Parts: sequence; structure tokens; C-alpha cells
Amino acid sequence: MSITDMTSMAEAQSDLRSEINKRLERLILGVSDYCYQCAKCTSGCESHKLLELEPHQIVALLKRGLIDEMVNSEIIWTCMSCFKCKERCPQKVPPVDILFALKNLTVLTGKQVPGDYTQMLQSVMSIGYIQDRQTVPTRSGDTVKREDLGLPVLSGLQDPNGFQNIITASAVEKI
Amino acid sequence: MKLALYPGCLMPTEQYAYEMSIRETLPLMGVEIVDLPGFSCCGEPLKSINQMLTLHMSARNLSIADREGIDLLVPCPMCHLALSEAKNILDGNGEMKKRINAKLREEGLEYIGKQRLFHIIDLVHDEIGLDTIRERVKKTLPDLNMAAHYGCHILRPSEMGRPVDSENPRKMEAILLSLGVRSEDYAEKLDCCGGPLLPNHPETSLAKTGQKLQAVSEQGFDGMVLACPWCQKMFDSKQTKAAESVGSRAHVPVLYLTQLMGLAFGIDDAKLGLNLNLSPVDDLGLKGEVE
Ligand code: SF4
Ligand code: SF4
Repeated sequence: MSITDMTSMAEAQSDLRSEINKRLERLILGVSDYCYQCAKCTSGCESHKLLELEPHQIVALLKRGLIDEMVNSEIIWTCMSCFKCKERCPQKVPPVDILFALKNLTVLTGKQVPGDYTQMLQSVMSIGYIQDRQTVPTRSGDTVKREDLGLPVLSGLQDPNGFQNIITASAVEKI
Repeated sequence: MKLALYPGCLMPTEQYAYEMSIRETLPLMGVEIVDLPGFSCCGEPLKSINQMLTLHMSARNLSIADREGIDLLVPCPMCHLALSEAKNILDGNGEMKKRINAKLREEGLEYIGKQRLFHIIDLVHDEIGLDTIRERVKKTLPDLNMAAHYGCHILRPSEMGRPVDSENPRKMEAILLSLGVRSEDYAEKLDCCGGPLLPNHPETSLAKTGQKLQAVSEQGFDGMVLACPWCQKMFDSKQTKAAESVGSRAHVPVLYLTQLMGLAFGIDDAKLGLNLNLSPVDDLGLKGEVE
């Protein structure tokens, strides 16, 4: 199951997009209206200097309803989810939550998901974890496996097929 | 005290030293670790893709603890936030709890919400207590000044009831002091390791790591202590690349709080996975005879 498969299944549910839109609407009316553009969020944003993310601009664009523009922009994928903006906003506006909602919407509209997210999702679907047990290097130049280290067996999923079905259904459900 | 270890993804598949040092040190402080079958990812790494999926995955892990009637030790800050947030949503929203429980029932599970969650830092500081730590210390560590790095998700958002203060965390420093290790403040203490950007902006992610390593190194710290598998991956496993990415030659020993505790308790460094740290931890002079 790829994200694209999930998305096409998702599109069959006609009200999916409007669900997320509603969530964004709630963020517009309930939250972003309180933003007075002090830019405190941006001043501490971990992704501001390196990737030019400006959370206060995200809030401003949301206020103006420019959701499609943001969904089509790479910038929403630059957030490090450090939660500083949400923690420090004097008006309790959470730019980071707006960004999560926008990214979710992007995925549902079938846009290309950047980076290794697809791979992580596939791995979770099949083994329950974002990756399987890795062989790791040691400082003395060897490599070791989990089994070499006296750690107990990692139990993992009891019913992988059942898990996959349930999680897939959940992944395409309304938010 | 009995706790089920919720391993998350990164610790049991890659950051083995964290798990080894947890399993070695906690029993010495009166904590019995229980391993339960059936856990999966907490869902937080997939939050950008689908928040409902994150909520469902967190809830299913919580419900495994509910089934056993046991509290959870959650050593990964990211998992700890995901599980805390799920508890917060499900306990406050009956409608959502019903919806999620309908899904969980398909796996024979049910979210009740009785379990408490502990990270290593609050477990040691608040539950076990510093007096117990001081009693367990068997070895005088060298005179070190270590930079404490908490990891974003154990600090913020405070709205989700984080185990430490969001703007002025002191618990790790207090634990270190009870081991005989100093930890001075530094301006970058609350900054991100850059890890969450690794899936889609690897270069920037490493630059972020490199910048913090450089800051720690320039301020004369002997090394860095942390309690997050993602942060350890960035600052330790990827240190050489991270330093190169900002044109520095940072040479910063990085280790888990539980490794340092284990060394102070006189546990053999091999049992603490010290050989798995790729940063120059030998420089700290931590090995040697127990007094
Ligand atoms: S800190 Fe809060 S009020 Fe200020 S610009 Fe950011 S979101 Fe708006
Ligand atoms: S959570 Fe994202 S938007 Fe908010 S301060 Fe951190 S990097 Fe910036």
C-alpha cells in the first residue's frame, strides 16, 4: 500500500477534503483570528534561518483563506515540529498545528509527498515499525546486530495482516 | 515499581545502547521492567501524513498497557508526546474515544486510559528520587561539565503536560549533579537537534545538528548528555557528517543519561553499549576501576 493508493482510496470518500477544510476553518475562526502578527513565533522558529519558514506568515495566509497556495508550496514541509511557536505564542495560536493540517491536506489531495515518508509508512504497515532492526557500527570498527547484544527478542505485531487492514482503513478515514 | 517498556521504533531497531543502559540501570533503582507483546510505532513520525493515523496508533499502544493494567516507561520523547497527546484527546473527547475504540475492538483492544506514562528523566527525578541515585553511585566520575540536551518533545508543548519545565528544565541537571557531574547552562540548550527534518531535508537537518555541536564545543563543554534516541542519532551517530556540513571539526563526546548513570553505578561499559557510541566518548576518561 503506497501513499498514492491510499490517496486514491481516500478520494472515493467525497467528503474527505471538506473534513480537513473544516478543520482548517476551525483553526481560522477559532485560533488564527487571535494572531496579531507579532512574529514571536518566527523569531524562535528552528526552520526560519535555514529554510526561511515564517510561521507568522503561515497564520496570515490562513487568515486570508489562501489554503491552496500553501498546500502547493514546499514551505509547509520545512517545519521541524519543535513546538516552539505553539509554546511561545502570546495568543495561544499554534502555527505548528496549522502546518500539520496543511500537510495532511496535501497528502489527501494526492500531491507528491516529499522525502522518506512513504517508505516509513510502508514499513509501519508491514512490520509495525518505521524500520526493521538495523546492523550498526561500533566505535572499534565492527558491526553488531540486536541479537548480538543480549537484548530480548523484539516482540512486534501479533497479527500483522489484521494490523495492516485496520491501519489502512484508519489511514483513509475522515479526520 | 513495575513498568512496561514501550520501546517505540528507533531505540529497539538502531539505538541499542539506550535500551541496554535502561535495562541495566533501572533494576538497580528498584524498577522492574516488563516486556509486553504487540507494541507498534506510536504514529508520531507519520503525523505529517495523517493525524488520525497517529491518534489510532498511539491509542492502540496505550490500550495494550490498559489490557495489562500497567504503567508505561516511554524512553523516546517523540513517543512520549504522541502517547500523551492521544491520552489528552481521548480522555477529553468522548465522541473520539468511541470512534477510536471501535477501531481498537477489531484487534480485541480497548482504550481505558488508566496507565501513567514516564520518561526516563521524570522517572528518575520524581519517582526514584535523587537520594536513591546518590546511594547507588559507586564510582567517582572525572570532573566533567556536560551540556544537557533534553529533546524538543519532552519540553514542548507544555499544554500536553510535559515531564520537565518547557523554558527552564532543571531535572536532568539535578540528576547529573547527583552523579557528581556539572552541567552549566548554555543559550542553545532548548534548541532542536534537527532530526525531524531528516526524512525530507537531510542536509539542513545535519546543518542544524552541526550548529548545536559547534556551540557546545565552543563553549568548552566536555560533552553532551541526552535522553532521546533521535537526538543521539543526530549528535552521536551522525556527528562527523553534521560537523562537516557546517565546516567545523566538532569533536564532542555524546552519551545517554542512562549510560552515564550506569558508569557511575559501576556497571561494565560493554553492558551499557558504550562501544556503540560513535562520538569520541573515550576522551571523557569514564572507564576504569570501581572504587
Ligand atoms: S506568535 Fe502568535 S500572535 Fe504572534 S505572530 Fe505568531 S501566531 Fe501570531
Ligand atoms: S514547530 Fe515548526 S513552525 Fe513552529 S517554531 Fe518549530 S519549526 Fe518553526
